[in-house]
This record gives sequence, C-alpha cells and structure tokens, in this order.
Amino acid sequence: MVEVGIKIGLSITQIAVVMGVVLLTVMFLTLAERKVIGWMQDRMGPMEVGPYGILQPIADGLKLFFKEDIVPAGANKFLFSLAPILALVPALIGFAVIPFGPNLTVEIFGVQFQPFVISDINIGILYILAFTSIGAYGVILGGWASNSKYSLLGGLRAAAQVISYELNVGLAIVGVILLAGSLSLVKITEAQSGWFWNWFIFAPPFPQLFAFVVYVISSVAETNRMPFDLPEAESELVAGFFTEYSGMRFAFFFLAEYANMILVSCIAATLFLGGWNAPAPFLQFHGSWANLAWASGVFWFTVKVYFFLFLFFWLRATLPRLRYDQLMRFGWKVMLPIALGNILITAIAAYLFPRG
Amino acid sequence: MKFKAWLKTIIFYEILIGMKATLMHLLHYKPITLQYPHEKRILPDSYRGMLALLRYDDGTEKCVGCDLCEAACPSRVIKVISAEVPDEPTKRFAKEYYMDMTRCLFCGLCVQACPVDALGMTREYEWAVYDKRQLLLNKGQLLAIGDRSYPVREKRLELQHPNVAFFNVAFKHLPPKES
Repeated sequence: MVEVGIKIGLSITQIAVVMGVVLLTVMFLTLAERKVIGWMQDRMGPMEVGPYGILQPIADGLKLFFKEDIVPAGANKFLFSLAPILALVPALIGFAVIPFGPNLTVEIFGVQFQPFVISDINIGILYILAFTSIGAYGVILGGWASNSKYSLLGGLRAAAQVISYELNVGLAIVGVILLAGSLSLVKITEAQSGWFWNWFIFAPPFPQLFAFVVYVISSVAETNRMPFDLPEAESELVAGFFTEYSGMRFAFFFLAEYANMILVSCIAATLFLGGWNAPAPFLQFHGSWANLAWASGVFWFTVKVYFFLFLFFWLRATLPRLRYDQLMRFGWKVMLPIALGNILITAIAAYLFPRG
Repeated sequence: MKFKAWLKTIIFYEILIGMKATLMHLLHYKPITLQYPHEKRILPDSYRGMLALLRYDDGTEKCVGCDLCEAACPSRVIKVISAEVPDEPTKRFAKEYYMDMTRCLFCGLCVQACPVDALGMTREYEWAVYDKRQLLLNKGQLLAIGDRSYPVREKRLELQHPNVAFFNVAFKHLPPKES
C-alpha cells in the first residue's frame, strides 16, 4: 500500500515537472519565435516589456487570461468549449513516453523509478501517433462549432491536411521501427548509442535520410506551421479555425500548437538523431564522471530538440504559404511514394544485413 | 543538364538558398527599424508635416485673406473668411481661417499658392487624436503651430511685394504708418 502511494507520488511529481518544463518551453518559444523571426527580417522583435522584451510572454499570458471570453451566437456551446481541450490535452499527453535522458532506474524508498521517462510503454510511438490524431479533432470541431465560415473552412482544411500528412509521418517512422525492432522510444534510442553514425538518420544498413526529410516536412505540416499553415491562413481565413476564439480558449489552441511543435521535435530527435546519445562517446561524461552521464544526456537531447524548434522558426521566416492543391499534391504524390519506397528498401536492407 | 535540374529539385536547392539568406540576416543582425516612441528618425529637409499660419517678426499675421490657398486645395481642407481691415478699406485679412486636417493630404499646394508665404509646413507629425473634431483647426491654433515651429520669423518690409504685401493687415500694435 505504501509502495503504491510512493509510486503514485513519484509519478505525479514527474508529470508535474515535465508539464512545467513543457509549458515554460512554450512560454520561451513564443518569445524566441518572435525574436528570431524579427532578427531574420532585420527587425528587433518585442522590445517594450522588460529589458529587451524578455517579459513579453508573461504580458501575453496575462492579457489572454483577463480577456473577455466570447462565445459567438449560434455556436454549439458544448463543442465550442470542448475543442480547445481536445486540442491541448493530446499535445501534452504525448510527452508521457518521451525519454528525456538516459534509461536509468533508481531505487527510491524501495520503489523502482525511471527519472527521465514518465512511462516506458512498449508501444510508445504508436501511442503518440494515436493521440496526435485526436488533436486533429480539436481543430475540426473548433472550426465547426464556431458557426463561422472562416472557421469552418479552416477546420476543413485542417482535417484534410492533418490526415494526409499524418499518413506520411507514420510511414516515415516505419523505417526506423524496422531497424530498431521495437516500438518503445527508450529501446529505439538505445539502439542508436555510440557514435553519431549509429543514429538512424545515418545508420547502416540503410540510412533513414529520406524518412527523416519526409518526417520533418510532414511534421511541419501536421503542426499547421508555416509554410503549411493553411488551416489558419491569416491572409485568406482571418485566423482559420480559431477565428471566433478569444481569451483562454484561444490560449489553449496557442499552447497546443507550440506543445505540438515541441512534441514532434522530441520525436524527431528521439527517432532520427539518437535522442539523448551524444554525437561521440567522448562528448559526454564518462570515466570517473560516469555517474553524471545523465546530465550530458539531457543536454544533448535539449540541443537536438532546440535545433528542430529553430528549424521551425527558420522555415517560417523563409517560406511563403503553399497553395492548397500544391499542399495536397506534395503530400500524396511526392512524400507518400518516397516514404513507401523507403520502407521497401529499408525492409530489404534490414533483412539482408540484420543489425548486430 | 537534366540530371542537374533533377538533383536541384530533390535537395530543395531553391529553398536552401532562401534559408541561407534568412540565416545570413540572422548572423549579420543589424536592425533597420527604430523603436519609435523612444527613437525618432531624422526627417528630410523638405518634410511636409502639419500646416501652420505664420507671422512677421513684429507679430502681424502674414495672411491677407486672398483665398488662393482655398482655391488651390485639392481636398477642400481650407476655409477662409476674409474681411476688410477696419478703417483701412484697401487692406484685407483673414477674419476666420479653418483647416479640416482630417482631409488634408499634405500635398503642399496651398503653401505654393500663397503669394505672401503666410502658410508653412512644419515638421510636426504626431497629430493622432482621440476625437476627430480636434483636427478641425481654427486660426488661433494654426498660428500657435506656426509660432512654435517657426521661431525665426521673416522681417516685415513695407512694399516688399508692391502688389501684395502692401495689403497686409496692420493691427493696432503696429508702428504707426508715416503719412
């Protein structure tokens, strides 16, 4: 009984820490995005709140918190309230299976405890795919329940786009799963230990470079980010599916978008760039410092995730929005054949040259 | 050649060039924007800002109430009600002078049209107001703008412009005219 209590307490602490870190990262990202894009466009970004505008996320949060919560006339009130929750919860719940650091098991009060992954379930990647698909419902229902033509169009676009690109994400991941022989994110990461050429993006027998490119492009499309932000295309659809949302409900969609960004970055880092593994064995704490290896593991994981987040900003600052037919053609006629071909070749290579 | 084009397509060559451009701007970051309320840009010499009515150095209004500015104005900003100077039937002045700055497009045609240089364009541009009725300016307000924007006034010379300046208004604080 005591053991169960300790287990639950540890889990709740872990969940609280992960949620806190994710939400703080979201806060930081909103500022970092505006700053980075500003710098890329020879602007300064937010400069007014606090020194160099570093308190801007807090000001934004306070503003959204105190804004009037408007429910448009004719909206389906239940679904209108449900949609932001449906968007945010799947985005946050995916972090439950992400391994943030080395697969350690420590014993606290006689309870086995993995400090760097909330729950290492053996179908981790399927779990994430399943929940991110539920996130699409939030967008679609939010668009439909708002009783506005812009929202409805945004929701419809989101539905088509997320379904098309979810498929490519799934197929791009299959190659990695074939090589790793497991669906658990911890096992997939452990299969990439050692030097950086063991990472699945470069790994023998068949590098997953194509799968990596397909995954990155599809995940940008799946999180509705530029240049695939058709569901919220502000020049065509005002704000797309969250046109009618204000205050905290809008903030939920906003949080969901950024949490999704972090989630797909974490998955990309875990599956293709070796997760917590350092590029070279000597770039982490080893030898007499070996009991601090977790710190370097968390560091390398953070570096990789932030590389992807920077890539998101970079793409947004560079590329214009795709046209809708271009988006669909690119998804179905370019990415899908590449992903399928990659699976075929990887399967043959993995059969002929099984990994030791 | 065809192979090269194909290769460029599959490695996203054009997109990579665009991304290199944005990255170079990030690395060589030099903002071209100004933090407006804290920093203000240096205005060019011929900046056409708020309109103002001017005075001579002795405090007399330059305006002779000729209505040429009203005629020149393309958006009918100006309304002049001219009148004779009391006791001097050969001289006229603008009894009332209104400018509806909500319509003004700062073309400067009124300033060019004025035969006595009684109108001037100042370098003021911070004229955002909460009530647009505050932009309907009367003569006193326009003179006040001119007073604060043109501290150096033109010297009043009798018969400087024989046709026009002779008709200028003389108020009682003017030195008495020799007869």
